[in-house]
Amino acid sequence: MTGRAMSTFSITLDGAPVTVSEGETLLQVARRQGIDIPTLCFLEQCQPATSCLVCLVKVKSGTTGKLVPSCATRVASDMVVESETVEVHAARRTALELLFSDHVGDCLSPCHRLCPLQLNIPVMLRAVDTGRLDEAVAIVKQALPLPAVLGRLCHRPCENGCRRGTWDQPAAIRDVERFVADRDLKSDRPFQPPTKPATGKRVVIVGSGPTGLAAAFFLLREGHGVTLLNRHERPGGSLVREVEEGRLPAEVLAAEISRLKALGAEFKTGAVLGEDLTLDALRRDFAAVLLTMGEHARTRATALGLEATAGGLKVEPDTGLTSLPNVFAAGSAVKPTRQIIRAMAEGRAAALAVNQLLRGLKIQRAEKPFSSMMGRLDRAELKLFLNLPSPAPRTPPALDILRGFTSAEATGESQRCLHCDCRAAGDCQLQHYAELYGADTTRYRSLRRTFEQHVQPGGIVFEPGKCILCGLCVQIAERAREQLGLTFIGRGFDVRIGVPFDQSLEEGLRQTGRECVAACPTGALAFKTD
Amino acid sequence: MPAADETNTASVALVPAAAAPETDLRFVDEAVERCGKTPDVVIPILQELQDHYGWLPEAALRRVVERTEITPAAITGVSTFYDMFRHQPVGQHLIRICRGTACHVSGAERVEDSLRRLLRIPATQDTDPERLFTIEQVACLGCCTLAPVVKLGQHTHGHVSVEKLPKIIRDYLDQTRAAHDPHHTERPLRRGGNGTVYVHVGLGSCCMAKGSDQLFLALQNGAAKAGANVVVKRVGCVGMCHRTPMVEVTVPGRQSQFYAGLGPAQARDLLQRHLRPRGLARQLSRLWTGALDLMLDDGAPDAVSRCAMDTRAPEVNAFLGQQVHIATDGFGRLDPLDLDEYLAHDGFVALRRCLNELTPEAIIKTVEGSGLRGRGGAGFPTGQKWRVVRQQPGDKKFVICNGDEGDPGAFMDRMLLESFPYRIIEGLAIAAVAAGAHDGVFYIRHEYPLAVRRTRTAIAEMEKRGWLGDTLLGADYPLRLTIKEGAGAFVCGEETALIASVEGRRGMPRLRPPFPAQSGLWGKPTLINNVETLALVPWIVRNGAEKFAAIGTATSKGTKVFALAGKIQRGGLIEVPMGTTIRQIVEEIGGGAAAGRRFKAVQIGGPSGGCVPARLADTPVDYESLREVGAIMGSGGLVVLDDADCMVDIARYFLQFTQDQSCGKCTFCRIGTKRMLEILDRLCAGKGQRQDLTELEHLAHQVSHGSLCGLGKTAPNPVLTTLRYYRDEYEAHLAGRCPAGRCRALIKYVVNDACTGCTLCAQHCPVNAIPLTPYQRHQINLDLCTRCDSCRQVCPHQAIDVK
Repeated sequence: MTGRAMSTFSITLDGAPVTVSEGETLLQVARRQGIDIPTLCFLEQCQPATSCLVCLVKVKSGTTGKLVPSCATRVASDMVVESETVEVHAARRTALELLFSDHVGDCLSPCHRLCPLQLNIPVMLRAVDTGRLDEAVAIVKQALPLPAVLGRLCHRPCENGCRRGTWDQPAAIRDVERFVADRDLKSDRPFQPPTKPATGKRVVIVGSGPTGLAAAFFLLREGHGVTLLNRHERPGGSLVREVEEGRLPAEVLAAEISRLKALGAEFKTGAVLGEDLTLDALRRDFAAVLLTMGEHARTRATALGLEATAGGLKVEPDTGLTSLPNVFAAGSAVKPTRQIIRAMAEGRAAALAVNQLLRGLKIQRAEKPFSSMMGRLDRAELKLFLNLPSPAPRTPPALDILRGFTSAEATGESQRCLHCDCRAAGDCQLQHYAELYGADTTRYRSLRRTFEQHVQPGGIVFEPGKCILCGLCVQIAERAREQLGLTFIGRGFDVRIGVPFDQSLEEGLRQTGRECVAACPTGALAFKTD
Repeated sequence: MPAADETNTASVALVPAAAAPETDLRFVDEAVERCGKTPDVVIPILQELQDHYGWLPEAALRRVVERTEITPAAITGVSTFYDMFRHQPVGQHLIRICRGTACHVSGAERVEDSLRRLLRIPATQDTDPERLFTIEQVACLGCCTLAPVVKLGQHTHGHVSVEKLPKIIRDYLDQTRAAHDPHHTERPLRRGGNGTVYVHVGLGSCCMAKGSDQLFLALQNGAAKAGANVVVKRVGCVGMCHRTPMVEVTVPGRQSQFYAGLGPAQARDLLQRHLRPRGLARQLSRLWTGALDLMLDDGAPDAVSRCAMDTRAPEVNAFLGQQVHIATDGFGRLDPLDLDEYLAHDGFVALRRCLNELTPEAIIKTVEGSGLRGRGGAGFPTGQKWRVVRQQPGDKKFVICNGDEGDPGAFMDRMLLESFPYRIIEGLAIAAVAAGAHDGVFYIRHEYPLAVRRTRTAIAEMEKRGWLGDTLLGADYPLRLTIKEGAGAFVCGEETALIASVEGRRGMPRLRPPFPAQSGLWGKPTLINNVETLALVPWIVRNGAEKFAAIGTATSKGTKVFALAGKIQRGGLIEVPMGTTIRQIVEEIGGGAAAGRRFKAVQIGGPSGGCVPARLADTPVDYESLREVGAIMGSGGLVVLDDADCMVDIARYFLQFTQDQSCGKCTFCRIGTKRMLEILDRLCAGKGQRQDLTELEHLAHQVSHGSLCGLGKTAPNPVLTTLRYYRDEYEAHLAGRCPAGRCRALIKYVVNDACTGCTLCAQHCPVNAIPLTPYQRHQINLDLCTRCDSCRQVCPHQAIDVK
């Protein structure tokens, strides 16, 4: 600009007049107004690629209008623009869903997705592998209410899904988790998960089995007071039986229950609902009642004034609410549940619903964590993951059931993890906006492309299946006058990013590797060590 | 070095048997010498390499990078974008199979299957193991009236059938052994004087595909021998492609006589019929040779009279009677390359007037007043476009003639360039003068070699006279014209992609605005007009805006050239006034569907257009009316469909085309069209699910609204119109039926009671699915049957049913 005064004028954005300067893009204007228009292929220092088209807005003309990419469309006077409408959102969502239909990669690893309590297993394993035990403890203890118990008794759905298992044997996830949990229990200052400020509200949980204990754990962390009623002397419900049968040392259960007490849980033992206490009394004294007394519940339903089904207490499926207000039920009290971790997951879901009630929010089930899924891999694809992990076979469990993994064993086993979760998970624009827009990653699912992974000598990991062809890396390399650089190869649906003459990425990006990885809006380019 | 036995079979297969000798890179240096070293010449260099080596060896590409300013990224990106460039060696002979619309509905797929079987080319590859033949699909060769079409080497064959293929290939191999000069029809020709008999031979690509070049040579030889005052004259397209090769003989003082369908063998008889030899001896000798001919070949002279056409015959009259020739003025009469003849037919009168009498403003006013709208498809007012470019500041401006006619089923622009190159040059020159541009570019698809050659020759001819270059027609107005050949990318018909291609980049469209008129080629204001639009301009300037505006409808003025093809009696190139109804075109000009068939729909506008059902045939061809029924004017491809055509298959065909031609830039087009195609594939395979139809419709709307450029925005049109008018056919496919009997997975071939056991079908079945059982009713083994249709075609008793 050579001294010429920038002219300003007004446009209409989502119904409100906005003053804009000539030359500004609609994206700039919208972002200034606090509207979060999603972008993937846009980077301020590059030319707009107008390729992803998730930044569409509607520019109206009369009763119609057209969708345009806001990143490259410049303002014009009297423009009428719509950003946050159902129609525009639907178009953005379709763009995201189409991108996912051609996205070869998992945001979250199968083990993580299969864990009913959503323990971020690969991150935990990498923390153990690199000696960051405190971090591993924090990850475990924020996700699992009784990690040392689960480390011994969990039926390991995670290991069923472990991709390493389709190659040789799955990583011994539970044993590593137990190692982490035991380490923490044995330490002088065991990890105390953070809690929210106290709400002053109290919840009574009837029954202290896995469901009740888990619910208590999550309610306490939400800042609510929790009282657990237990008809037997020892809390733990079905877990006590495990102790009696020798699969769970009593002191481990006791230690974990003491951690719950440290969080503020109150246990009242020997109290039987319907005998010593009435449900009405509980409803009067507590802000909410959660029934987790296991399969007994059904037989006592009528006495308590609750409706029952063939399996257990009748509850609303989405809320866990029984026929009485503010009375929830979960776990085997509703439907017999064999697996401890599932029972705990039920407890967590109930805790979430109770929390929503207490905070005056709409009660709704938590959605499963968002993740792209690439499904089963064949052996050739799987082999690509084996470049970095340890080739060792699965570490057998210690003969002495009381011992668990040594530090070296835990580290060694952690190194067997394939790192099949995405390196960009949590730092990925595609994942972020898909979650925000409720994109269904499987809507346009089709035949999957072959998974590819190229680990470059310089430490860059290139996974073309995750590339959305924004071309930012091509631009960055070109601008830096890389000798080889990157280019689009092919056309249409089969176009891909590559280095000319089949050279390696290392050769293509001699100076700009780091910049390209930073600019990549997905996990197509990432660093090995990240 | 690895031991020989360690070499696995996979790597052996990758080493081409024929490419053993090192690539000779001297040619690269020569090509660079000819084309230049700047980044923008990458496509011309690659074209030279492709022509020379038959593919692009990596060593050659690296050499280019060494010797020029072209970067490795650019050469890789560009050479993998365009269809014409190959990165794998080719076989000795290249066979191109046209997959245009007309060819598709006429069985191109069966032709390809059959070729693969004949030449032993595996399904996943394009070359046979001995590397003799490579087959390549071409979007459209633009010979739609001759569908299905294949091109062997330089020669195009029309009306190919599974039955004819073996002979075509044998003949081709024989021919290639004999020396062949493909440029023989480009040489300057002899001119006549008073009393000369003229024999006009149509030498458009279509005519030549039907052998008019051979006929032309035979006639020339015959005329030379006869020594009479006769000139065998090359003319452009004659329009009546369904009757090619066409010959018109004009004898002074007599009505001219047309002949259709003559072969080279009848050349001499034709000449004899019209020439009176001088002197008795010659007359006698004529009698004698005539008698000899009779003895050698019964009824040969008769063959000529059978080919004679009465131009007053109702069918000829129906075809020609409704046409108005503006863009095609002089069709069948003008020698495409005879500059003097063009001059004699008002050639360059308009341009001269623009240079000497009219101001640019007056020219633009005339074009505006004529109501001319772009003939490339969108119908933007031409005058307005010219004005915008005129108004842009700066001295450097460009005009471009868009000859990237990529729509399958369209060949108007090819024909105009082949037949009237001077007219297009004149139109472009007028546009340049009006817009204030001194540089013009012809962008012509490389699949149209004859159009490229004729345009090039015409430009050279003009330059030779000093009429182009530093001066224009001798006036002080420099105008430099160059030709850029496309390299096989439909998307380059889109203006911003075309510009990218001219600049030597991947042909990716970009967001508009800014429009090319504001910022186009090399960032300068650029006027891009379609070939046909430019062809109309000289007439408008000569005859005045009012005269042009008097033709047509309220919003669509003048004439429109259509390539009429498909399931119709008389296909060809026609020029009709805007407002003519589809019914008039199909039933009157085209003569309707073939006997026993029912006219079902017309596909108009190609992959961006739609299918207009027969019940809406009274829709006039006019930009607005066509849009209302869901189609578009498009560039002018008009493919007629009959009751044997499946509308789901048609939708799938077009989507396959656009999906294949998507540049891959934006999400909606790149992935959306692919997903739509997958749904259509499922439907045609009988594997559709209920929600597929709603998803298809949803995606069609999303792709149409969300895509960045016109290709993506219009790609769903064939799907949307067929869903609109033929939803019942989609439903039938969901139920596992193809009502038209077209989708292979949903049909079967069965023998009916009319079978006499003649074994003809069994003999012709390429996969031995019919046991040879003489005098017994034949049986078709449906597990072996590939639905190639051979049996039905050869059966003399209509004993094969498709169910």
